[in-house]
Amino acid sequence: MTILEVNNLKKIYTTRFGGNQVMALKDVSFQVERGEYVAIMGESGSGKSTLLNILAALDKPTGGTVLLEGKDISKIKESVLAEFRRDNLGFVFQEFNLLDTFTLEDNIYLPMVLAGSSYPQMRERLIPIIEKLGICDIMNKYPYEVSGGQKQRAAVARALIMRPKLILADEPTGALDSKAIDELLAMFSRVNEDGQTILMVTHSVKAASHASRVLFIKDGEVFHQIYRGNSTNQELYQKISDTLTVLATGGENV
Amino acid sequence: MRTGVYQKLAISGIRKNRKTYLPYILTCIGMVMMNYIISFLSQNQTVAAMRGGDDMQMVLGLGCGVMAVFSVIFLFYTNSFLIRRRKKEFGLYNILGMGKRHLFRVMFWETLIVAAIALGGGLLCGILFSKLAELCMAKILGTEGSLIFSIEWGAVTGTILLFAVIFFLILVNGIRQIHLAKPVELLSSEAIGERPPKIRWLSSLVGLALLVAAYYIAVTTEDPMAVITLFFMAVIMVIIATYLLFISGSVALCRLLQKKKSYYYKTNHFVSVSSMAYRMKRNGAGLATICILSTMVLVMISATACLYIGTEDAIRQRYPRNIGMDTYSVEESYTEAVHEIAREVVESHGLLLENELRYRYLGVAGYLQENEIVFDQSKLTRFGLDSYSDVRQLFIIPLEDYNALLGTQETLEEDQVLLYCTKVDYNYDTLAIEGLGTLRVKKILSEFVANGIDTMQMIPSIFVFVPDLAKMQQIFDIQAAAYGDNSSYQYECYGFDLSCGEEEQIAIQQEIKDRITQLQLADAAFPTVDCESSAAERTGFYALYGGMFFLGILLGLVFILAAVLMIYYKQVSEGYEDQARFLIMQKVGMTKKEIRKSINSQILTVFFLPLLAAGVHVIFAFPMIQRMLVMFGLSNVPLLVLVALGCYLLFGVFYVVVYRGTSRAYFKIVSGARG
Repeated sequence: MTILEVNNLKKIYTTRFGGNQVMALKDVSFQVERGEYVAIMGESGSGKSTLLNILAALDKPTGGTVLLEGKDISKIKESVLAEFRRDNLGFVFQEFNLLDTFTLEDNIYLPMVLAGSSYPQMRERLIPIIEKLGICDIMNKYPYEVSGGQKQRAAVARALIMRPKLILADEPTGALDSKAIDELLAMFSRVNEDGQTILMVTHSVKAASHASRVLFIKDGEVFHQIYRGNSTNQELYQKISDTLTVLATGGENV
Repeated sequence: MRTGVYQKLAISGIRKNRKTYLPYILTCIGMVMMNYIISFLSQNQTVAAMRGGDDMQMVLGLGCGVMAVFSVIFLFYTNSFLIRRRKKEFGLYNILGMGKRHLFRVMFWETLIVAAIALGGGLLCGILFSKLAELCMAKILGTEGSLIFSIEWGAVTGTILLFAVIFFLILVNGIRQIHLAKPVELLSSEAIGERPPKIRWLSSLVGLALLVAAYYIAVTTEDPMAVITLFFMAVIMVIIATYLLFISGSVALCRLLQKKKSYYYKTNHFVSVSSMAYRMKRNGAGLATICILSTMVLVMISATACLYIGTEDAIRQRYPRNIGMDTYSVEESYTEAVHEIAREVVESHGLLLENELRYRYLGVAGYLQENEIVFDQSKLTRFGLDSYSDVRQLFIIPLEDYNALLGTQETLEEDQVLLYCTKVDYNYDTLAIEGLGTLRVKKILSEFVANGIDTMQMIPSIFVFVPDLAKMQQIFDIQAAAYGDNSSYQYECYGFDLSCGEEEQIAIQQEIKDRITQLQLADAAFPTVDCESSAAERTGFYALYGGMFFLGILLGLVFILAAVLMIYYKQVSEGYEDQARFLIMQKVGMTKKEIRKSINSQILTVFFLPLLAAGVHVIFAFPMIQRMLVMFGLSNVPLLVLVALGCYLLFGVFYVVVYRGTSRAYFKIVSGARG
């Protein structure tokens, strides 16, 4: 079943004084099925971040539609947008974006508290998630007291606790060391195996090689995609590398 | 590098940091101005020549010292805020290859430029406004000011010297900070992640205990002797307690709230409570300072305003009638002679003796021990350091004089007395007087005429109305035996009002004095007569009370300026820190409206907490202020309440205006973040 449908998405940025127009997204269309783990790859300036911002409803497209379970998110009213985001989307950011005023536990609770849940209810949801992510014993620590990998796991837990339809991850491995990257990617895979749909924007081949499908964006368009099929992570890694080489050397079609 | 470069860097540094530098420079100008004005007034010859001007200059001289000390502390505080923001820029210069020595030169130029602007602008404004201040002062003193414009060069050099030293110290402090820091630290000094506050139970509890103790002292101390010393103790306790409670007490409170899960995990409380703990940790000291400054302003202005407004009351308390005469004898031949002189002089002016006041009394001091008055010190059974606070001024007055004065028909049996007490209540139903035995207190009176001696003294008085003159004589004999040559006199207090101008009143007083002197010269046995006129003393009162009021306003203005600036800096620095947090919360799913609401409520709480605490402080200080004002001859409680309330409201309105202004700056910074 299709959970996310992106049709002919277009985004043009106009500089402040109306002079130059910058085409960030030309024509992007793709679909994400429930339970899929999709990685979107592309170089800096390829329009990845713009795409993610539009998917997250943080930005409005110039043209085209984004349907989340058939509902056009660009048509949601500003006043209920934050609520919509909270209830349907989970975010994992490169810079973790944890609030230093809260303990990790409270950081994870934040979206639920905003949604008005009671403490026992939150606690009930929290336990299985932190057990799965292996962060039970650092719940009372503050973000500055733990490592980057632990912070990112707490951020994942925060994204998961609302049981979102879709997790949007923006360069989640960008600020981590290699050991933490391995752990995080393994975690994403586990979460995905439990049925969670994940959409990850990255330019790390290693991160993308854990996905079930990889989309390549170049110059504001979906340039190519690779399905995992029966490949191992290693084989997929190879395929992605090859594709990137072709992309970089300017091949017209693969 | 050539010198020109440093100057350019310094100028561009100031210009680029306008937002933080401008208020700082304005503060410096304001402080220079205030310093000049106060020292101008305390040195100016025209002021000295005013009636009561020299008394006023003495009061202002004290103000100069307070002002100088405050300038040092205050400018240091604001400057430390600036340095914190500048460190990053200096770090960048340092990494780009400027040595610390070069940085010092930039700092030197910056300080020099700021000092030049501050001194130039401040002195200019000071000179411009000094005339206005002088005229205000003349108004307060109740005289005409002259319109001659003058500059007091002594004040100019004094101010320049003071601020040269202050700016030098500030420069040294800045250099010290840059010198100690590593370049990388300089670069990231603003972004250092702050640890979440830990609860410090001990200091919270100590703070609470100190506050309760100080309040208890303020409310329960009745003894006027103790009020002054204890007041200062209480003030210091309150200051310490305020700091402790604002810094750690508030964090402890937030933590307690966080422990209560059903309260904490609510949309409205969750974000506010946790960030409050943070804010309080960072701002506790600043907020406590604002609170203390506000309290000072309120107490100072309401007390001095009340004194000034109540000057007439105070004069009336001290001098119950326009002309007052104390004859050191109750011999009728003498007292009648005195009355006769007064009548003749007044009639010769075509006036009448109005509102006549006459009573005879014996004024003695003794120790009050339980319900016994002891004259002989060696007979004190309880002796301690505090025995001075047991001293009572006794006024023994025959009942017939009381009845005649108040038009009452009181009667007393042989062993009965009526009592009227000032400052401290008397709670026994008998009164024993050494050598006289125990007397029964028939009634405690609630009213008697004001008495100048009682008003002047700090010690409480007991007016004892005895059945007849013989009883008074008896007590006189007893205390004469106890004190020997130092014994007191029996007096006749005589006074009257006149409906004529002050000058004529003073002239009448002089004539009466002269006539009495003649009598005294003719008859060596003629008793001493003190003749006072309220008109002659009025200027002195206005100079003293007006001077205090004027100083109260000036210092109040400066403290308010300080509070405003602290609030502004607090808001701006918080704005920069909250930018990132604002963005994250939005990404996690808080609407802009929710964030704004939450931030607004936090700022509001943080902002109005000092005002609220200041209000509570003032309420508890109230009984003490009232008792101190009684010593200045002011017992008008409704006036004090009204003035204090008025000051609080005025201050509150002003505070709200400042809040509006600064919170706009805050929101501008916060919304500057994308999203």
